[in-house]
Amino acid sequence: MIRLLGLQPTYMSHDVLEFEYRVSNIPQNSIAAVEVSVVWLTEGKGTEDLGVHFFQRLTGNSLAASDWSIPQNVQVPLPDSPLSYEGRLLKISWCVRVRFYLNDGTELVAQQPFYLGTITREV
Amino acid sequence: MSGWWFVGSLGEALFFASFFLIGVMCFTTIVGWQFLSPTTQVVRIGYGFWLLTIVSAAFTVMGAVGFWYRVLKVATSDEHREIIAKHGLVSRPNKPRNKVLLPPMVPLLTPFTDSPGAKLAYRLPGEWPGTGALISIGLFAMAWNAMIAVFCVFAIGGLFRGEIQYRLLILLIPGIYIGLRSGQLFFRSYVREIGIGSTTVEIEDLPLVPGRTYKLLLVQYGRLVIKKLSIRLVCEEESTYHFGTDVRTEREVVRLQNILELGRSRIDWGRPLELECQVSIPSDAMHSFQSIHNAIHWKIIVEGEANRWPSYSRSFPVIVYPLVRIKPVSQPS
Repeated sequence: MIRLLGLQPTYMSHDVLEFEYRVSNIPQNSIAAVEVSVVWLTEGKGTEDLGVHFFQRLTGNSLAASDWSIPQNVQVPLPDSPLSYEGRLLKISWCVRVRFYLNDGTELVAQQPFYLGTITREV
Repeated sequence: MSGWWFVGSLGEALFFASFFLIGVMCFTTIVGWQFLSPTTQVVRIGYGFWLLTIVSAAFTVMGAVGFWYRVLKVATSDEHREIIAKHGLVSRPNKPRNKVLLPPMVPLLTPFTDSPGAKLAYRLPGEWPGTGALISIGLFAMAWNAMIAVFCVFAIGGLFRGEIQYRLLILLIPGIYIGLRSGQLFFRSYVREIGIGSTTVEIEDLPLVPGRTYKLLLVQYGRLVIKKLSIRLVCEEESTYHFGTDVRTEREVVRLQNILELGRSRIDWGRPLELECQVSIPSDAMHSFQSIHNAIHWKIIVEGEANRWPSYSRSFPVIVYPLVRIKPVSQPS
C-alpha cells in the first residue's frame, strides 16, 4: 500500500513529494528485494515512454535492516518537468511505484498516481 | 505478475545463448585452425574464410546482445532498466555539479539562441518542410540523368560505328522522358522555394515562459505582391508508434493562436516587408517536451499567399519552458 502524505495529490515543481508504503500479510523473510520509484510515463497513440526521477532498490542488508511492520517513509524533491498533461495524442502522468520481489518469484506491484503542475485538463 | 509469465522470455534467452555459443565455436574453429595448424586447414584465407569469419562473428554479437537483452528484461523492472540505461550497471557517486540544471525532457535551447537577431535578441531557425523533398528530387534527377547520359554516349558511339542498337534506343526513349520530367520538377520546386524570398523571424527573448508577452519581428524578402500573410503560434503534439513493421509518426495541432494577419502588400528587392507584433504565451500552456517517441512542439508559423506563386508556409520552432523556470544562467557546452 502506498499513501501520499500531501493534502492533495497535486504538487508543484520543487515541492517535496512525501509518501509512505508498507506491505502486509507477507513474512519479512520472504521478501527478496524492494524497488521504490517515482516515474513519469506517456500514454496515448505513441509508443509509451518512461522516465525515472527517483529509484531505490533494497536488497540484502539494507532490506534486512528495514522493519516492514511499520510504513516506510520516503521524501523526494520533484523536478521542473515534465508536468502532468492530458492532450489529444499523448498524456503524461506521474506515479509512485513500489515493487516487492518475493523469494518464490512472485512480484507484487502497487502504484499511486499524482499530478505535477496544474496543466491537467484536456486542451 | 507472477507464475510462469517469464517462460517465453527464458526460451528466447536460451535461443540467443545457443546462437552465441554456435558463433563462438565457429569463430574459434575457423580462426584457431587457420593460425594453429595452417597446413591442415580446410578453409584457406580468401572469400570463403572471411565470409565464415564475419557470419560467425555476427552470430556471436547477435547472440550476446539478444541474450543480455532478454535476461535484463526478465530479471529487472522497467524502472531498473531505465536506471541502468541512464547510469550503467555500476552506480557512480554523484559528482558535484556547478552548472545550472536544465528542466528535464525539454529540448535544449542552444540551437535556438546561437543566432543573434538584427533588431531583436534572437533570430529563430527555420524549418522548411519542402527542403527534404527538393533534395530528394534533385538527387534522383541528377542520378537518373547521369545514367541516361552514359547510355546516350553508348548509343551515339554505336551510331558512329554504324551499329544501331535498337534495344538500347527503345529503352532510352522512356528514360530520357523520365529524366526531362524529373529535371523539370526539380527546377520548378527550386524556383518555388527561392522565388518567394526568404523569411526571417526574430524574437525578444528565449526561452518563452507561459503568461508572458514577447516582441516578434517578421522580415519577408523577395519581389512579390503578397495577397495575404498570417503569423500564428501553434502547439503540436507528435507521437511515433509501430504499426506492423512500419514506424509511423502522427502530429496534431492542439493549440492555435493568431498573432497577426496582413492583407495586400508589395515587396521589392532591397525593401523587405518588416512586421512587428507581439506574441503572448497562454498562462496554461504546456511546456515543450521531447521523449523518445512523443513530443510537444511550439512553433511560429508564417503562411502567405502571393500573386503568381503557390501559397507557402514556413515554420519557426520555439522552446517554451515550464512556468517555474525563468531563464538558465548558462547553457551546457
